[in-house]
Amino acid sequence: MKLNRLFVALAALAILFAASAAQAEKTIVLGYSLPLTGSHAKYGEVFRNAAQIQLEKFNKSGKLPGATVEILYEDSKSDPKEAINIARKFVDDERVVGVLGDFTSTVSMAAGRVYAMEGMPQLSQTASHPDFNKIGDFQFRNITTQAFEGPFVAKWATSLGYKKFAIVAIQNDWGISAAENFAKGLKDLGGEVTDIEYFNPGNRDFRSILTKVARDKPQAIYLCMMYEEGAMILQQRKQLGIDIPFFGTSSLYSPKLLELAGDSANGLLLSTTFMPDSPEANVVEFVTEYKKRYGDDPSMFAAQAYDAVGIMLDAIASVGADVNRQSLRDALAATKGYPGVTGSTSFDPETREPVKGLARMRIEDGAFHLVD
Amino acid sequence: MDTYFLMQVINGLSVGMVYALIAIGFTLIFGVLNVVNFAHGEMYTIGAFAGLVCINLLGWPLAFVILVALVVGGLAGIGLERLAFKPFRRFQDEASLKSRAMREATLLSSLAVSIIIKELIQHFFGAEMQTIPAQYLLNEPIQLGSISLSTGQFLILGSSIVMLGGLQYILYRTRIGLSIRAISNNPLGAKYVGLSVDKTIIATFAVGSMLGGAAGIMVGLYYGAIFPTMGFAPSIKAFVAMVMGGLSSIPGAVICALILGVCEALATDFMTQGWSDMVAYSFLILTLIFFPQGIFGARRERV
Repeated sequence: MKLNRLFVALAALAILFAASAAQAEKTIVLGYSLPLTGSHAKYGEVFRNAAQIQLEKFNKSGKLPGATVEILYEDSKSDPKEAINIARKFVDDERVVGVLGDFTSTVSMAAGRVYAMEGMPQLSQTASHPDFNKIGDFQFRNITTQAFEGPFVAKWATSLGYKKFAIVAIQNDWGISAAENFAKGLKDLGGEVTDIEYFNPGNRDFRSILTKVARDKPQAIYLCMMYEEGAMILQQRKQLGIDIPFFGTSSLYSPKLLELAGDSANGLLLSTTFMPDSPEANVVEFVTEYKKRYGDDPSMFAAQAYDAVGIMLDAIASVGADVNRQSLRDALAATKGYPGVTGSTSFDPETREPVKGLARMRIEDGAFHLVD
Repeated sequence: MDTYFLMQVINGLSVGMVYALIAIGFTLIFGVLNVVNFAHGEMYTIGAFAGLVCINLLGWPLAFVILVALVVGGLAGIGLERLAFKPFRRFQDEASLKSRAMREATLLSSLAVSIIIKELIQHFFGAEMQTIPAQYLLNEPIQLGSISLSTGQFLILGSSIVMLGGLQYILYRTRIGLSIRAISNNPLGAKYVGLSVDKTIIATFAVGSMLGGAAGIMVGLYYGAIFPTMGFAPSIKAFVAMVMGGLSSIPGAVICALILGVCEALATDFMTQGWSDMVAYSFLILTLIFFPQGIFGARRERV
């Protein structure tokens, strides 16, 4: 009987201790809306993997004394309706101070209207549609749009002395915006565009396009397409003997390009945000940790998510443990020079558009090499 | 300026030959059965993947690789006939043989088989483009003055000629060719005089799909692009060429495929290539309006 009472007393004491410990350690909750099932599941999985690494690293680092951060993952199935439901759920959950995701621009923008209305900061790792940031004051992304990348490559090309370009682009929303932004960037720098040629998705024969653009004798050709078409074009230009430099968008960056195009890829110049082979310390750390846990090299998508979570966590740390939605939004907007694995990121205080340092690459001897 | 046009004509002829290679098998099967074989593009894909497996696992020389694609294409054709066409020929009475519904049902069953094949290939090989070892690519440049050609163009031109010649020889000089023509002309009549309709149809599928399979590996190596949905775009163009050529005239389909390719290449001069599919479709519409029998269409005989 006595022993029993002692036991109860001890248990009560233990609960008290635990409660007081929990009070000291506040939990801050972030939401992550991402596709974990459905056709885009492989992307969502990669996001969650990378986010988990970043989160654990942050909680161990002691950057945020008195609180730990937790991420709630919700499966949007890459479906705008699901993402809106998730958005309402996150908005109603008072513990959630900020949301990451979603994956595609369409889904991110559908959910974004809810977040903008309810004043919840939203940071997408990949939504690159120009209008995403225009939904409201609470939208952020850490991926550059073509409005940034095109002029970046144009500046690089003119600094190398190439001013007369032909552009070959895939005929879809993205390809058209890539081509137009590059053309605009080049013209602003006093360059000249001889021709913009669009091709249909699925086209495999670029000989007639290449023959046509080469007729105007441009100094270089800019490619706006995915690596599969890029590999075809590079092979066929070699066969046609068109011996001028080729520049390209970051979408051409894939080890598969080298496999498919072989020798003919040599000399291609392109911009990129992430390269797993980079010698920079934080990239090496991320790549080794990711490989150790998941047995695979992280892709560009993993790196985007890793940095998005990092930016969000740093913003929380800058406010402190009593962060709320509004203060988190302001801290995010003040992000300057976040040292991520996809380069340094700052948000423009006015438009909230990311300003990122893009890296420059050149393919030589069948491998991507960083260019200073 | 002159070399520019010459170069564009050569580019166009090389695209046209790709269409022609596919159109030959397509037209042969249409000629005999009078139905469109929607899975012909997949025979082409199967040939390409069979060749690729041979290259990657066995490292055989190109001639053997093409032979393997031929054999696998032929077998796939026989399998396709068994799966998608034979079940609809179960009833041999006159009414069923003449029934349009029976014929058109095979159109859908071949479409179904084509989707299944595409998905299966995607399941086993992945949706990505396959890597081809560089020494197998038929893309070595050959410079002739100011125009540049490639090894693949010669191989594709050569094999189109061989295929066309061989097929015409089979059709007009051999017994099986005679029965193919007889059945395409009048299946019931051929049946009543004692020809084996089944055997002839199987032979037609084997020959047509063999040609499709060989086309797949050659075009795959020429473009350096082998992937599960590779058959779709060129077989649409081959279909247009077949209609333009009069549906069942094989030389007509080949000539129209070449015309189509050249017009597409020359069209890039005044419109962007993204619109060049319009060339094919406007040809299709113009043909249907002005030449309902096709430009090379015969009135009675269908092969």
